Amino acid sequence: MFSRLLLIPLLPLLGAAYLMLAGQRHTRSVVQTIAILAVFASCVISLDAFFVGLPAVVHEGGISELVYTWFAAGSVEVDLALRMDSLSGLMCLVVTSIGTLIHFYSIGYMAHDEDYARFFAYMNLFCGAMLLLVLGDTLPVLFIGWEGVGLSSYLLIGFWYKEHANASAGRKAFITNRIGDFGFLIGMFLLFRATGSLDIPVILGAAQDGSALSAPLWLGQSVAFWAGVFLFLGAAGKSAQIPLYVWLPDAMAGPTPVSALIHAATMVTAGVYLVARMSAVYLLAPAALAIVALVGALTALFAALIGFAQNDFKRVLAYSTVSQLGFMFAGVGTANFAGGIFHLFTHAFFKAGLFLCAGSVMHAMSGLGDITKMGGLGKRLPWTTRVFQICWLSICGVPIFSGFFSKDALLGGAFGTEAYGHGLAWVGPLVGVILLVAALGTAFYMSRLYFLVFSGPCRADEQTQHHIHESPVSMVFPLVVLAAGALFAGFAGVPPALRELFGKHGESTLAVWLEPAVGAPLAVAHRTEWIVMGISTALALVGIGFGYFFYGGGYRAPAHAFARKLPRLVALVRDKFRVDEIYDAILVRPLQALCRITFLVVDRVLVDKILVGIWAFVADVGGRACRFIQAGDVQRYLAVFAIGLAALVWVAARPAAPKEIQVVVTGRHAKVTLVDDEARSGNLQYRFDFDGDGVPDREGKTASASWIYGGPARYTVAITIEDARWHTRRVVERDVEVRP
Amino acid sequence: MNYILPGPSLLDKLAFIVLASAVLGFGLLTVTRKSAVTALMALIGACCALAGLYATLSAHFLAVLQVLVYAGAIMVLFIFAVMIVNRDDEQPIALRGLFLRAAGVLGAGYFFYRLAWIVVRERRADVLATSITLPIPEYGNVASIGRLLFSDFLFPFEAISLLLLVAVVAGVLVARPPRPTPSGDRERVA
Amino acid sequence: MPGYLYILVSLALFFIGMTGVLLRRNALFVLMSVELQLGAGSLALLAFARGLGDQKGHVVAFFVMALAAAEAAVGLAIVVSVYRARKKIDLDGVNQLRN
Repeated sequence: MFSRLLLIPLLPLLGAAYLMLAGQRHTRSVVQTIAILAVFASCVISLDAFFVGLPAVVHEGGISELVYTWFAAGSVEVDLALRMDSLSGLMCLVVTSIGTLIHFYSIGYMAHDEDYARFFAYMNLFCGAMLLLVLGDTLPVLFIGWEGVGLSSYLLIGFWYKEHANASAGRKAFITNRIGDFGFLIGMFLLFRATGSLDIPVILGAAQDGSALSAPLWLGQSVAFWAGVFLFLGAAGKSAQIPLYVWLPDAMAGPTPVSALIHAATMVTAGVYLVARMSAVYLLAPAALAIVALVGALTALFAALIGFAQNDFKRVLAYSTVSQLGFMFAGVGTANFAGGIFHLFTHAFFKAGLFLCAGSVMHAMSGLGDITKMGGLGKRLPWTTRVFQICWLSICGVPIFSGFFSKDALLGGAFGTEAYGHGLAWVGPLVGVILLVAALGTAFYMSRLYFLVFSGPCRADEQTQHHIHESPVSMVFPLVVLAAGALFAGFAGVPPALRELFGKHGESTLAVWLEPAVGAPLAVAHRTEWIVMGISTALALVGIGFGYFFYGGGYRAPAHAFARKLPRLVALVRDKFRVDEIYDAILVRPLQALCRITFLVVDRVLVDKILVGIWAFVADVGGRACRFIQAGDVQRYLAVFAIGLAALVWVAARPAAPKEIQVVVTGRHAKVTLVDDEARSGNLQYRFDFDGDGVPDREGKTASASWIYGGPARYTVAITIEDARWHTRRVVERDVEVRP
Repeated sequence: MNYILPGPSLLDKLAFIVLASAVLGFGLLTVTRKSAVTALMALIGACCALAGLYATLSAHFLAVLQVLVYAGAIMVLFIFAVMIVNRDDEQPIALRGLFLRAAGVLGAGYFFYRLAWIVVRERRADVLATSITLPIPEYGNVASIGRLLFSDFLFPFEAISLLLLVAVVAGVLVARPPRPTPSGDRERVA
Repeated sequence: MPGYLYILVSLALFFIGMTGVLLRRNALFVLMSVELQLGAGSLALLAFARGLGDQKGHVVAFFVMALAAAEAAVGLAIVVSVYRARKKIDLDGVNQLRN
C-alpha cells in the first residue's frame, strides 16, 4: 500500500523535480498550477492525516510509517521512517497551510520575473524538505530535511544571483548554517554512542535518570548535556540565534515570499522544533536547558535593540524574527515546550503576514524598502494596512491578538518554571525579566515601523508616489487569511487562568494536544499568570506609546532630538552593534590569512611547483619517449609487433636458467649439480668446462659432473646448457673455490 | 584418418617445384615492383600459382574459387583503384622510421625462421609427412564442402555473408565523393 | 609431396607479404601484400587439412577468401577516399591517428 505520510513530503519534492527538469517549457499558469497543487495536496493530506487520525496522532504516539530500511550495517539500522505525532503534525499543518498561501501570493509577486519555474521549483523543494524534517522519525532523516531546507534557503536567498550581494548573502547563510550543522552532527553522534540508536523514539525512551545518557562525559557534564549543547548549536545556526544569527538579516536579499515562508514562518523555527523534539534529552540536563534559555533571551533582547534603528522594511522584520525566535528558545529553554511551540505557531501567522505586507508595500513602492522614504500608505493600501495592523498588534502582545497569548505563555513559563533545580533557579526569573524588556522593545520597534510606513505624509518622490497601488487579489487574499490566523490562532492556547473566566477548566486544546509529544504543560500559578499578563499588556501599550511619541505621523521632534543628542549610540545600533565587523576581524580575516598562507605554501609551492612539476617532467619525458612509438603510423606499429613476437619466441625457446647450482668441494674434488624441473630437463644436454679453457671437460645428459683440480685456487666453472629440440643454448657460470 | 599413399611421382614433384617457385617469385615481384600495374599482374600470377598449389592438395573447389575470387573479382577491384589513384612511386620505401621497420622485418624473419625450424624438425610427424599424390574420392569437391558449409558451419557462413554485405555498403559509403555542403564548400574527408 | 614443404612455402610467402606490408610506402602495395599474406594463410590451412584428411580447413579457407574480399573492398575504398582528400596515398603521411 502506498504510504500516506510519505506523500506529504513526496508531492512537493516531485513537483520540484518536475519543475526543475521541465518547468522552462511550460507557461506560467501551468508552472504555478503544478507548484500550488503539489503543496496544496500535501496540505490536504496532512489535514486529513492529522484530524481524521486525531486520537492516534495525539495519544498513541502518533502515526508512524516505515517506508523502507535505508541501510543496515551491523547493529545499526537506519530506516526511512516517518512519524506524525501532535508536534510534527502541528508543524506539518503550519508548513503546508502557510506554504500554500505563500505559493499563492507568489503568483502575483513574481509575475514579472523571468525565472518563474525555477522559483517555484525551489519553493516546492523547500516545502518537501521541511516536511521531511518535521516528519522524520530518525535523526538521519531529520538531518536530510535539515540540509534540504538549508539548500533551498541558499538557493532562494541567492535567487537573483546576478547581483553579487545576493549571491554572497546566500553563501553567508549557507556557511553559517554549516557551523551549526557540525554541531547537529556531533550531537547526533553523541546520542548514537550513548543509546546505540538513531531512532528518535528510542533515544527519547532511553532518556531517563541513570541511563547511559546521564553518564558523565566531559568536564563533569553528562552525555545529555553535551548532546543538548551541540544540538542547540545546530538549532542556533538554523534558527539564527547568538552567535550565528548574522545570516538572517542578509537573507532578506531573497524574494519577499521566500523571506516570509522560509526566513520567518517555517525553516528558522526548525531549531525550536528540534529542541522540543528532543525535549526528554534536554530535561535530563537542566544546564543545557539554561544555556538554551539564556541564549534565547539574550538574542531576543539584542535583536530587538538592533531593530530600533534599522531603516529597511525587511531588515526590521528580520531582526524581529531573530528576536521572536529568541522568545521561542527562551520558552523551550525553560522547559515550557508547549509554550515555545505555541509561540512558533502564532508567530508563523503574524510574521508571515508582516512579511507579505512588506512585500505588498514594496510592490507598491516600486521595489523600494527604505522606510525613511515611506509614510502615509494607510489610505493608499487599505487591505495591506488592515492586515499589518492586526499583525502588528499581535506581535506587540496586545490582548486578544494571538501574540498576546503565546508571549504570555512564555513569560509565565519563565517565571514559573521549576526545571532547573536549586543551583540554577535564578535562570528562570532572569530570563523572564530579559524577555519582558525585549517585549517592550518589540512593541517599540514594531510601532516605529508601523507609524513610519503607514501614517503621516508620504516622503517618497513624485514618481514613486504616483505609482502606489494596492496589490492584486492573489496577493491580498493570503494576507487576509494570515491576518485571520494572527487574530484567532491564539485561542488555541488560552492559559488556564483565563479559561476559568469562561467557566472552562484545565489546559488549552493545544497544550492537551502537545502533551504526549513534549510533556505536560508547565503548571504556572494563576497569580503569576495574572501578574505577567498585566505587566506584559502594560509594556506593550507603553511600547506602542513610545513609538507614537517618537514617530507618530512620521519623524517627530523627539526622534530628531534623540538622534542629535546621542549620535554615536544611534549609529552603533544602526550598524547592528558592528557584530559583522567583529566577526570579520576575529574570524574571517585570520581565516583568510591562514588560507592565503596555505595557498601560497601548499598550493603554489608544494602542489604547483614540486608535485605538479615533478610529474609534469616525468610525463613530459615519458611522453617524448612514447611519442616515437605512438607515431600514428600503422607500419611502425606492425614493426613493433613483429619485434615483440620475435622477443617472445627467443625467450620461450631458450633453455631456462637452472633453479639452483649446487657446488660441493671436498679437498681438491669438486662436484657441480644443476637443479631443474624434471619436465624440462629431458631434452637438455650439459657441457661442463671446469678449468675455464673453453674446452668442455665433461659432457652428457646428466645435470651433474665432478672434477679434480690441480691445486688450491679460485676457478670458474662454465656450464653450457643446450636444448636439442631448438638448438638453443644458455651459458651459466659459477665460481668454485678450492681451499688448501 | 590417415591415408597411406604411394610416394610422389616425378610429375608431382615437378608440378610442386614449378608452382612453389612461381608463387614465391610472383610474390617477390609483387612487393618489389615500382609500378602498381606490374605489381598487380605479378599478384595475379601469384594467385593463379597458389590455385595450382591448392589443386595439388586436392582442394579443387577452393582452387577454382581462388581463381574466380582473387584473379577475378578482387583483382578487378584493384585495377579500378589503380586507375583512380595511379601514381608511380618515386620513393617506394618509406624512409620515416626505416630503422624500426627494418628491425621489424628482422624480427619477423627470426619468427618465421623459428617456425620453419619446427616444421623441418617435425617433418616426420603424421600431419606434415603425408605424401599427397593421389586424390581421395569425395575430398575437396563442391558437394562435400557444401555439405559442411550448410551443416556444421551454417552460422559462420551466414555471418560471413552479412559481413560481406556490410563491407560492400561501407565501401560505397567511404569511397563516395563528398556531397557539396550548402555553402558550396566540400566537406573535409580526412 | 610431403606436407611440410607446403608449410615452408606458406611461411616464405607470408614473410614476403610481411616485408611488403612493413616496408612499402604506397597503400596499394600494402594492400596487395596483405592479399599475399592471406593467400599464404589459406595455403597452410589447406596443407594441414590434407595432412589431417579433414575438410574443415577448406571451409575456413573459404571464409578467409570471403574476408579477403571484404577487406579489399573496404581497404580500397579507404585508399580512394584518402587519395581524394590528400592527392597521394603514402602511408607515412596518413598518421592522423597520432596523439
